[in-house]
Amino acid sequence: MKNFFADRTRLYVAIPLLVLALIPVALPDSEYEQSVLIVCFLFAIMASGWNIISGFAGYVSLGHSVFLGMGMYTGSLLGQYFNLPTYYFVLVSMLVSVLTAVIIGAVILRTKSHSFVIITIAVLLSAQLIASNWRGFTGGTEGVIFRSPSWVKELGNMPYYYMFYVVFLLTIALVWFITTSRLGAGFVAIRDDEAKAGSIGINTTQYKVIAYGLSAAPYGLAGAIYAQYLGFINPIGAFNILLSVYLVLSALIGGKGTLWGPILGGFLIALANEVATITSGGISARILIMGIVLVGTVMFLPQGILNSVKTISAKRKSAKKSVAFIDQASIAEPNTAISIEKIVRPADANANKSDVILKVTDVYKSFGGVKAVNGVSMEIKRGSITGLIGPNGSGKTTLFNCITGTYEIERGSVVLNGEEISKMQPWVRAHKGLGRTFQITKLFKSMNVLDNLVAPLEQPSVKKMLVNKIQGDEADRAREVLSFMGLSSFEQSKVGALSFGQQKLIEFAQILMLRPDIVMLDEPASGINPTLIERLSKAIKRLNDAGTTFLIVEHNIPLVLSLCDYVHVLSAGELMVSGTPDKIRNDEAVIEAYLGPDTLLTEKS
Amino acid sequence: MELIQVLIYGLLLGGVYALLSSGLSLIFGVLDIVNVSQGAYLVASAFVTWRIWESTGIEPLVLLPLISIVWFFLGLAIYRGLFARVAPQGPSMTVLLSFGIALVFEGLLNIIFGNKFKSIVNDYSLKSFDLNTIILPYTQVIASVVAVFALVLMYLYLKYSWAGRALRATAQNRDGAALVGISHNKSSAFAYAIGMATAGAGGVLLAITYPFYPATHYEWIAKLLGIIVLGGMGSLPGAIIGSILLGISEAAGNTYAPQWTILFFYSVIMLTLLFKPEGILGAKTRKDSA
Repeated sequence: MKNFFADRTRLYVAIPLLVLALIPVALPDSEYEQSVLIVCFLFAIMASGWNIISGFAGYVSLGHSVFLGMGMYTGSLLGQYFNLPTYYFVLVSMLVSVLTAVIIGAVILRTKSHSFVIITIAVLLSAQLIASNWRGFTGGTEGVIFRSPSWVKELGNMPYYYMFYVVFLLTIALVWFITTSRLGAGFVAIRDDEAKAGSIGINTTQYKVIAYGLSAAPYGLAGAIYAQYLGFINPIGAFNILLSVYLVLSALIGGKGTLWGPILGGFLIALANEVATITSGGISARILIMGIVLVGTVMFLPQGILNSVKTISAKRKSAKKSVAFIDQASIAEPNTAISIEKIVRPADANANKSDVILKVTDVYKSFGGVKAVNGVSMEIKRGSITGLIGPNGSGKTTLFNCITGTYEIERGSVVLNGEEISKMQPWVRAHKGLGRTFQITKLFKSMNVLDNLVAPLEQPSVKKMLVNKIQGDEADRAREVLSFMGLSSFEQSKVGALSFGQQKLIEFAQILMLRPDIVMLDEPASGINPTLIERLSKAIKRLNDAGTTFLIVEHNIPLVLSLCDYVHVLSAGELMVSGTPDKIRNDEAVIEAYLGPDTLLTEKS
Repeated sequence: MELIQVLIYGLLLGGVYALLSSGLSLIFGVLDIVNVSQGAYLVASAFVTWRIWESTGIEPLVLLPLISIVWFFLGLAIYRGLFARVAPQGPSMTVLLSFGIALVFEGLLNIIFGNKFKSIVNDYSLKSFDLNTIILPYTQVIASVVAVFALVLMYLYLKYSWAGRALRATAQNRDGAALVGISHNKSSAFAYAIGMATAGAGGVLLAITYPFYPATHYEWIAKLLGIIVLGGMGSLPGAIIGSILLGISEAAGNTYAPQWTILFFYSVIMLTLLFKPEGILGAKTRKDSA
């Protein structure tokens, strides 16, 4: 059934692509139709490029047409210099566009912030200004007119048609490759939750810069061809903000974050634009209409056509299959057949490392006047299961965030495996062996469980980014980890459809993908049922036997006291007492601070 | 002397920018919306001012309070009708909505007023203060004084009124504010309306100081957004510092290399971001994972 559907999707796509390829040959007199389709190709190319940074990675660019202008001007300048048509320089143009994007991205994409969208507008206007004022180089505001290539008389637009068609196919191939690779999974991870993506080893800055660079590539290619096709170039035409509007609208209306949505949207908007040109032609009316359509799309069709169709058909399907759906929502016993060596790092890797895996010294972090963590020092022994308890607001999660790099500490040091890590980015710490889960799970909501597990990047390498996300070693490993945790039946489930407890276990599994030396769990047992708690402690113990260290924040005191070898108690941002579970259980100060004077901690264990 | 002229003139420009960008900064700080349509609101106000002045001859500055109030209510309507519905989808959709609104405004202004430069020429338009070697145009001085006055008024209101406190509370912790009885929707609409009112007031000042036509809203919004990126997104003092820096770099640019002025400012922004990615006074707020 699934294969059949996939084949049919391919057919839906293959037939139009084939028809488009044949049009100039089959209909030699279709000069006008070809010129309209060239604009369709251009819009689809641009919308697809935009989709890489803004649809997948979630960083909206409003000045993306700057990269088309870059390509046009590069082709034009080189073309004049060598006295050749501009399309000879497609590759150089692409390189210039990509490099520009990478340089700009390297400056403005380092933090998670909204300044990106602003800078994209500024870059477009700056480019216009430079092209207008750098007269000797660009011909100033009047621009440059190109001589037509000699073949135009005989062949008309047909060669241009095929040039754009090829760029169109290349763009589709690029986006398709991204959607199937771990790189693409990383982009979507950033869009869904950037902090989380960093915590599982994804170098978010690098990914975003790559996304921005790749998104500019099709523009450079198309620009060098487009300049010659137009026959002239000027700053206002090349760096046109209205063009940016068209391409944003195309991607949005078709469905951003999908492979085919922006292409569909590009054709629709280009055709609509053509109709508008024929019927009214007024630029003012056009701007007004585009504005209204953009507002309308955001208000009433925010997911775009393709996503909306998908949602509707998915709803239909799940209505039919509802019984099967409930059936699969069960968690199996952890699979003991999976060898633990496959899950964790080989034990001898720890052989000649020091006793203390993590050492926190005098760490200090405040928010305004609140000293959330006030000079905490503690050591976590290698191979231990260490508990971290304390009343609400005592600074447990903040300390976690200081250790993993979500927060910069104001003072003190964090040493992992003998190495100072407190100045490192979160993803570097993840690569050094630090894994953590969150109190409120932070899985990537728009991905299924398998994609969530494949998203973490164990070692930073370009090769790993480019591998297919659902085949090969990484995916096999993800399936093993899921099986180890007894979660195999959830492989294809959307994360949003799972219960909170299930999500907690999935997030635990996700962390294991990185083969961490130390796993930090933030309230793993809160909000999950006793059976799952049982499974969870089994998994923790098994991993611990194989050498993984655990640091656990938890309010379920009986669980902490039964599971842990050693417990630290925080209170009001300071370390109150540390010791074995027995010592903590009988420490009156702890009992009083934590639960009030009349409570005993000995009920269950 | 030239340097002093540049500095004083720059400060005057900066005063007007401070008013304009503080509205934008407020909207970003409270609502998490990059309000790209702010420039269009500004230019629209300039056109309305121009039309009233042209047909009645009323002194534009007299219109300032009136237009600000009208823009305030327009802002309420735009927020309630459009943004309130899109806000749950997050900043990447609200910025697109705002872009759409800007286009609608641009298209309407084009159709109503025509795609031509307009400017207001008053009896004081061409006069200037002449203090030996320092020459300051009347319009520029008036605009800055009025802008700073309006800015101070807004600041005092936000600081001491209940509505202002509610607004700041919402900016800092939306859920917390809701728990103590501050409706997020109401204070959001209020913040948007205040931001829009600053664009209304700014438009009047724009009308008496510069020529304008509909598409100039892109240049304005690029400048204003640049200011808040430079100063630190959502920081009001940051917006003021950014405004002064833009004012001075423009004044210097106008004196030495007019056509490269704005590029010079953008370079300052990029350089700042290179060393301080969150802007000059960018706040690192507590975004808890739990």
